[in-house]
Amino acid sequence: MSLASVKRPHGREHGGGSKPAVGPVIVTEGLTRRFGRRRGITDVTVAVDRGEVFGFLGPNGAGKSTTIRLLLGLYRPTAGRAAVFGLDPRCHSVQMHRRVGYLPGELTLFPRLTGRQILDRFARIRGHVDHRYRDELVDRFGIELDRPIHTLSKGNVQKIGLLLAFAHRPELLILDEPTSGLDPLLQDEFGRLVTETAREGRTVFLSSHDLDEVQRLVDRLAIIKDGRIVITDTVEHLRASAPKTVEFCFAQPVDPAQFQTLDGVQVLSTDTTRVRLSVTGPIGPLLHAAVALDPVDMTSRPAELEELFLGYYRTDSAKTHSHGR
Amino acid sequence: MAGDITLLDLRLRRRVTIGYGLGIAAYALIVVVLFPSFKNDTSLNQITANGSPVAALLGAVGSLTSPAGWLGANLYANFVPLIELLATIGYGASCIAGQDEDRTLALVATLPITRQTITIDKFTALLTQALVVPIATALCVLAGRGFDLTLATGPLLGVTAGVTLLGLFFGTMALLIGAATGNRGLALGITSAAAAISYLISSLAPVIHWLHPARCISPFFYAVGDNQLTHGLPLAWAGVLAAGALIFAITTVIAFNRLDVH
Repeated sequence: MSLASVKRPHGREHGGGSKPAVGPVIVTEGLTRRFGRRRGITDVTVAVDRGEVFGFLGPNGAGKSTTIRLLLGLYRPTAGRAAVFGLDPRCHSVQMHRRVGYLPGELTLFPRLTGRQILDRFARIRGHVDHRYRDELVDRFGIELDRPIHTLSKGNVQKIGLLLAFAHRPELLILDEPTSGLDPLLQDEFGRLVTETAREGRTVFLSSHDLDEVQRLVDRLAIIKDGRIVITDTVEHLRASAPKTVEFCFAQPVDPAQFQTLDGVQVLSTDTTRVRLSVTGPIGPLLHAAVALDPVDMTSRPAELEELFLGYYRTDSAKTHSHGR
Repeated sequence: MAGDITLLDLRLRRRVTIGYGLGIAAYALIVVVLFPSFKNDTSLNQITANGSPVAALLGAVGSLTSPAGWLGANLYANFVPLIELLATIGYGASCIAGQDEDRTLALVATLPITRQTITIDKFTALLTQALVVPIATALCVLAGRGFDLTLATGPLLGVTAGVTLLGLFFGTMALLIGAATGNRGLALGITSAAAAISYLISSLAPVIHWLHPARCISPFFYAVGDNQLTHGLPLAWAGVLAAGALIFAITTVIAFNRLDVH
C-alpha cells in the first residue's frame, strides 16, 4: 500500500477487534530517524499484513526500539513515513492507540502501585470494561496482581506488561523483547498466545534478538543492522535459502580455487585433500565440478537458520536486498 | 477518560503530598502557638527597625509583634513558599521529564488520549498539589484566633491564593522545561535557580534602594512581597501570576507534542 493513501479519518474510530482492516496493518516507506551522525535508523521500509506474526530482529542498538517508537508516534521521523491501520501515528495517535497493544522493551511500571491498580486505571482510560479475557490471561500466566510492583521479580513485572498489551484484545500488538525475563515454560505459553492471536486475524509485530523464539513464532521477518534493513523475507524462504555446509574428501590434493568460481559457493576451509564449502542454492554445478576431481567421500549438513541470522549480524558490508516484499 | 491521568499522578504523589501538608501544618501550628509569648516583646522589632538587609533576606520586615508581621517573618515570606515550591517544582519536573527518564511515560503516551489531554491532566494534578500547603497553613492560621493571632479573612485568603499561584507559576515553569528537554535535572535546576533569584529580589528590594525597581520581575513580589498579609492580594497581581502559569502551560502542550518519549 502506498502511503499516499494514508487515511485521514472522519469521526470516531471503532474499538479494537471490531473493524476489519484492509491492506497492510503497518507500512513504512523510507522511515528515517537520526540522533546525531551514527545512531538512529535509515530508510526503513516494511509492510506487515493483517493476521501476520512479523519478527523484527537485530543486535542490540540496531534500531529495533527506535522503529517501534516511530510506529507508535512516540518519536517524530526525520524523513520518510509510517502508517498504522492507514493512520499517521503522530497525527491520529488516539484512533491508532485504541487499536494497538504495546509492550516496551525496557518495561518499567509504577513501583508503588499494584498490577491491578495499573490495569484498572489503564482499562478505564481505554473504556474497556470486559475483564474476562484479562482474567483468563492472569490464570494462564499465573500473574501476581495484588502486590506492589517494586516487590515483584523482573519476570512477574514482564507478565503484567504482557497483560497490559493483550488485555483489551487489540488488533495489533507491538511487542519489544516480549519474553525478556520469562522462564522457558512461560515462553512456551507466550508462543501459544501469539499463535492464537494471529489465528484470530490479529497482527503481531514482535521485536527480538532471541533467534530461536523468532524461528518458532513468526511468519515473516526483517533483520535490521546499524539502523538499516538488511533483509525482509519469510522464515520458510530463508530456511530454504540458508547456506548448506558441504565437505568433500578427495583421493588426490585439489586446488580449492576452482570451487570459488562457482555461483553461491564459498570455501570455508581446506587441507590437502579435504575441502569444506558453504553452498547457497542448487548443488548440481558443485557436484559436477567435484565429480571431475575424483571424490572419495562427501557429507552435507543443512545450516541452521541461526547461522544465517548471525551471518547478517556479523557482516559489515550491507547485504541490502529484499526477498518477498 | 478525562481526569484519569490526574488521579494516577495524584496517587503516585500521595505520600509526598501528605508529607508536605502535614509538615507545614505542624510548623505553622508551632508558629501560631508561640505568638502569645512574643506579641508583647517590643525588642523583637529592633531586628527590623533599621531596615536590616539580613533580616529582610530572612523575610522579616516591619513590626514582628503584629499578627501580619509575625506570620510574614515566620511563615509566608519564607517557609510556606519554600515548601510550596518544593512540592510544585518537584512535581512539575517529574511528571513529564521524570516519568520519561523512568520509562513510565511511554505507557501513558500510547493510551488512546492526546498529549494535550495528558498535559491538561498533569496541570490539574499540579494545581491540586499547589493547594495543599497554602490551605494547610491557612487552616492553622485560622486556628491562631484562639492564640491572640488574628489575621483578617481577606488578607489570609489573598496570601493563600498568592502562594498557590506562586507554586503554580514555578511548577508550570518546571513542567515546560521538562517537556521541552525531557531532562528532569535541568527542569529542577533552572526552575529552582529562577525561584531563588526571584526570592532574593523580592525580599531585598524593600531595603536595597537600587534593587527596588527590579521587584516587578519577581513572582514572589506579586505573591507575598507587597504587603499581602495586610492589604490582601490585588487582582492585578493574581492576574500576573495566573497569566504566567497559563502561558507556561500552553507552551508545555506545544513542547510535549514535540518531545520524543522513550
